Amino acid sequence: MRLREFIQKVLFVEILKGMALTLSRLFTRPVTRQYPEEKKQALPGFRGLHALARRPDGTARCVGCGLCAAICASECIHVYTTEGPDHQKIVERYEIEVLRCVYCALCVEACPFQAIALTEHYEYANYSRDDFYMTKEKLLENWDKYMAGKKGEEYFKKFWHPLENDFREYEGQPVFDPERYKRRKGKIRDIRGEWLIYKGNGRRQ
Amino acid sequence: MLAFINEPAVLNIILAVVKSIILVSVAMFHVAYATYFERKAIGHMQVRMGPMRVGPHGILQPIADMVKLFFKEDIIPEKADRTVFYFAPVISFVAAISSLSVIPFYKDWYVANINIGLLFILAMSSLGAYGIVMAGWASNSKYAFLGGLRSSAQVLSYEIAMGLSLVGVMIMAGSLNLREIVEAQSKLPYGMFAIPQILGLFVFLVAAFAETNRSPFDLPEAESELVAGYFAEYSGFRFALFYAGEYIAMIVMASLLTACYFGGWTLPPFILKAIPLLGLVPGAVWFVLKVYFFIFLYYWIRATLPRYRYDQLMAIGWKVLIPLSLLNIFISGTLRILKVF
Repeated sequence: MRLREFIQKVLFVEILKGMALTLSRLFTRPVTRQYPEEKKQALPGFRGLHALARRPDGTARCVGCGLCAAICASECIHVYTTEGPDHQKIVERYEIEVLRCVYCALCVEACPFQAIALTEHYEYANYSRDDFYMTKEKLLENWDKYMAGKKGEEYFKKFWHPLENDFREYEGQPVFDPERYKRRKGKIRDIRGEWLIYKGNGRRQ
Repeated sequence: MLAFINEPAVLNIILAVVKSIILVSVAMFHVAYATYFERKAIGHMQVRMGPMRVGPHGILQPIADMVKLFFKEDIIPEKADRTVFYFAPVISFVAAISSLSVIPFYKDWYVANINIGLLFILAMSSLGAYGIVMAGWASNSKYAFLGGLRSSAQVLSYEIAMGLSLVGVMIMAGSLNLREIVEAQSKLPYGMFAIPQILGLFVFLVAAFAETNRSPFDLPEAESELVAGYFAEYSGFRFALFYAGEYIAMIVMASLLTACYFGGWTLPPFILKAIPLLGLVPGAVWFVLKVYFFIFLYYWIRATLPRYRYDQLMAIGWKVLIPLSLLNIFISGTLRILKVF
């Protein structure tokens, strides 16, 4: 065995093996993607540039509850609301500092109205910081550009599992059932001290 | 008035100048495209593409590089030794390019046919180390200084092995003239010294890598430890001179390998007998093809092997290569006395 090792060392078997490997790589296809010419389509659900969703009538879905701003990890969402003539809430300004965003998409998850989205657009390099300060108008424009039509409709259903999907019929919800109350008296009590009884496959078990 | 042009001495000088100009321009073109070839070959070996932007498949990249180097600011460190700093790249470059003059590319294609051609090349390649040492000293930088020191030690150790390995060739050819060495090889049935001198070939090959500071022996310019080694402080055209000098030294070593071990411009007789049509191709083509192959070998090794440690480098030089080349001289000499060849 030692003789064999010696012969291998003298004949540079390992170096020759390495050279055979590099030579074989010479004739394989390079993995390089020539970026500006060959672009990669972002995978579905990619978290790119932000957009504010529109209702079918063209107005923003956002109601200005500020949950996105509250949950935002990098505190880059600013929502300013005012009171309208009929005492309704008006979203006056909705601004995102894109340069501070970490693309965690907690805002999308938090939004109860599916009003904010992260589009699949990722090429938005620019020359000034102002270009990365997204106002409400710019964000709505982004929706028209990158999420228009069916894509935007399907986006939330596919990737964000909106809470309305989880809404159940009456059978699945916790309601008071006097019959069961009698049977399981003294077993379950909610925080207010009232008896709770679950029916069917309610989620709170 | 112009009668002096007809004097044979003047004619010789004019001829030599014209030849030199042609040789230098061809060599510089080769240096430019050797860098392109290197980047492409190593790129594809690493499953990437290499230069792709300037011209189709980056074919104009070396020209863009040259223009860039030409217009770059020539920075000299404040505390550098200016005179030495200026001259170091020139020495390195001149030493490299002057050894091209004795290489026979074809029967009569050389600038100078001197009888000590082999010795001249060895002398010039060791002179190149002066440029490196001076650059390392004059830069007044610890990285450059260490690079220069390493290079001087490396070149000193390896030129012994290299010179001794060529003694076998000298014994077989009975000459130091490169043209006569090539002609001596064409008389052998297999047309090259690579087979009887296999030991010498191995020693020469390894020593050539070390002598030209190429990977895996590129310790003088080990970029992960020494930035760029001895030319860390150089920029612009002086940097380009070092760079060109290094590539020309590589071409010279590849040519020497071709001329001394692989039959220069000749093809082995058994191949010519098998395909007589190849005899019509001018010999310079074979010479150039062989040189290209050895240059490719440099790149191939660079893409494959990691860098040696400094003590390993010295151990290989002194404990392996020098004894091997001495053994080779002993065997060659014995066979010569026994009239085997």
